[in-house]
Amino acid sequence: MELPHTAFSRAAERLLVAIGNAASWLWVALLAVIVGNVVLRYAFGEGRIELEEIQWHLYSAGFMLGLGYALQADAHVRVDVLHARWRPSTQAWLELYGIALFLLPFVALMLVYGARFVADSLATGEVSASPGGLPHRWAIKAVLVLGFGLLGLAAAARLTRLVKFLLRADAEGARSRAGR
Amino acid sequence: MPANEILALAMFAAFIGLVFTGFPVAWILAGLAVLFTALAIVLEVDFGLPIGVDWAYASISVERIWNVMENWVMVALPMFVFMGLMLDRAGIAERLMANFARLFGPLPGGLAVAIALIGVLLAATTGIIGAAVVLLALLGLPAMLRQGYQPSLAAGTVCAVGTLGILIPPSIMLVLMADRMAMPVGDLFLGAVGPGLLLSGLYVAYLFGHGFVKPDAAPPTAATVPLNWAALWELAVAVVPPAALILAVLGSIFFGVATPTEAAGVGAAGAMALAAANKALDRRVLAEVVRETTRTTAFIMGVLVGATAFSLVLRGLGGDALIERALLDLPFGPAGVVMAILLATFLLGFFLDWIELTLIILPLVSPVVAQLGFDPVWFTVLFAVCLQTSFLTPPVGFAIFYLKRVAPAGVDAPVIYRGVVPFILLQLLGLAIIFHWQALVTWLPGQAY
Repeated sequence: MELPHTAFSRAAERLLVAIGNAASWLWVALLAVIVGNVVLRYAFGEGRIELEEIQWHLYSAGFMLGLGYALQADAHVRVDVLHARWRPSTQAWLELYGIALFLLPFVALMLVYGARFVADSLATGEVSASPGGLPHRWAIKAVLVLGFGLLGLAAAARLTRLVKFLLRADAEGARSRAGR
Repeated sequence: MPANEILALAMFAAFIGLVFTGFPVAWILAGLAVLFTALAIVLEVDFGLPIGVDWAYASISVERIWNVMENWVMVALPMFVFMGLMLDRAGIAERLMANFARLFGPLPGGLAVAIALIGVLLAATTGIIGAAVVLLALLGLPAMLRQGYQPSLAAGTVCAVGTLGILIPPSIMLVLMADRMAMPVGDLFLGAVGPGLLLSGLYVAYLFGHGFVKPDAAPPTAATVPLNWAALWELAVAVVPPAALILAVLGSIFFGVATPTEAAGVGAAGAMALAAANKALDRRVLAEVVRETTRTTAFIMGVLVGATAFSLVLRGLGGDALIERALLDLPFGPAGVVMAILLATFLLGFFLDWIELTLIILPLVSPVVAQLGFDPVWFTVLFAVCLQTSFLTPPVGFAIFYLKRVAPAGVDAPVIYRGVVPFILLQLLGLAIIFHWQALVTWLPGQAY
């Protein structure tokens, strides 16, 4: 199913791809930090707590920022046993309902409660519980909200593309009926 | 039956029904969590039914997702994904194919055995079933058909070996399973080694046996290249690096030298070094690999996010207790309950991927299995082998589905179905052996550290 772009979707997806491509380099950073920590431990006999914490900071930022990126690339797992046999317009309608009734309400729930979660952390000045851990815990918690925000943006962009696709299919249907 | 349990059953049924719409599974799960929370509130407020799930309860999923984010063990997942994608780009598969074909080609059934060994060696690159089957089909299927192999045998080999990759450590599936079962990743990796070797051994024995009994179905190469030192050296150059990488990852976990997270990071660095040594690494390749790593990790974590919210609400509705009671009430005795669970998993595996089954079903049934006094590592490995069998089974197995997409002319659905039957029988034999001899799973983790 090839979906047409809208002005909004073009801008939104350009942003999502730019963020996703940039965030992808976090994996190289993660790899370097892990190898560095292992070398430190064997060479100097000390594993560093902050290096371990940086590892999960990088990993969680990588996948949270990737959620919208994967939606934009249509990479999320689908069960397409029946799906593949349906008409494009049926597929588009189902996807439209799915985004409007399932994905967007979930994103809204996560944004509302996620924002409170970050605000609590910021208000209490939360830091890592381990000695030598990282400060500013609210910052990585904010990545959760940012990730769901980007997922919502990707969903909204796809929604406009689906609407345009269905309107176009509708107009073509009407034209072919009129011509007959 | 109380109202909340009816809701729990409806929620589960809605999930099974809605996956067939083809909407991404992750967001079906997440959306059902929101929808059924709303439904519970309506029933409680407007109809006075005591259900006890509200927005405050559903919002706990934010904290659960945060727990996934701060989970250091899960850092291994993107690193193993990266390692697999990098090995794939490093051109190791092609080199292995050329060398194994030369070594085993002169034997009847030898080429199929070569494919099986490549599948095992590259298991690290093949954590995702679709990718493994496609890779082996493109690499091995034309070669086997050219040599006059019976198409069904060739197709069956590709399907079976392609699914074996999800079982053989280091496997992404095992990392996720260990996380859900709250068991050390290392124990599960080591527990899967025995069954992985058993199944690959059964495959190899069958393929050689088949070639011996019916040489026409799996003929040897006509042009035999003499095996000399130069050829052996080339073989070693092809086999040693990927084998060493896998052994280093597993060995460092076995001897307690590194945690699975560290082993994964070092393995990923090793895969990069291998690609560089093969002159297959440049900025463009690296950019492709990291982007693909983001997309693959994100779609797995997406299902994890959705399943977290879904499981939370299902538990709030009393779904967990319901399943536990239903399973414990089965009149089969402990071993019978485990078999019933495995049968249900096998059937669900026809249309659900390992990601959903690991994240939704495994946590639902594992408390029951623990209560019955079974070893959790043993059960998880059985669960994994059962899933793998289910992906092979016609007409809807995932492996068959992916093979059909890339199969050359002459390899159509009935041919593939005929081809996988012997392998399904081998899988069932393997399952029975693992079921009876638990030590096959539990011995190696017991020796470690």
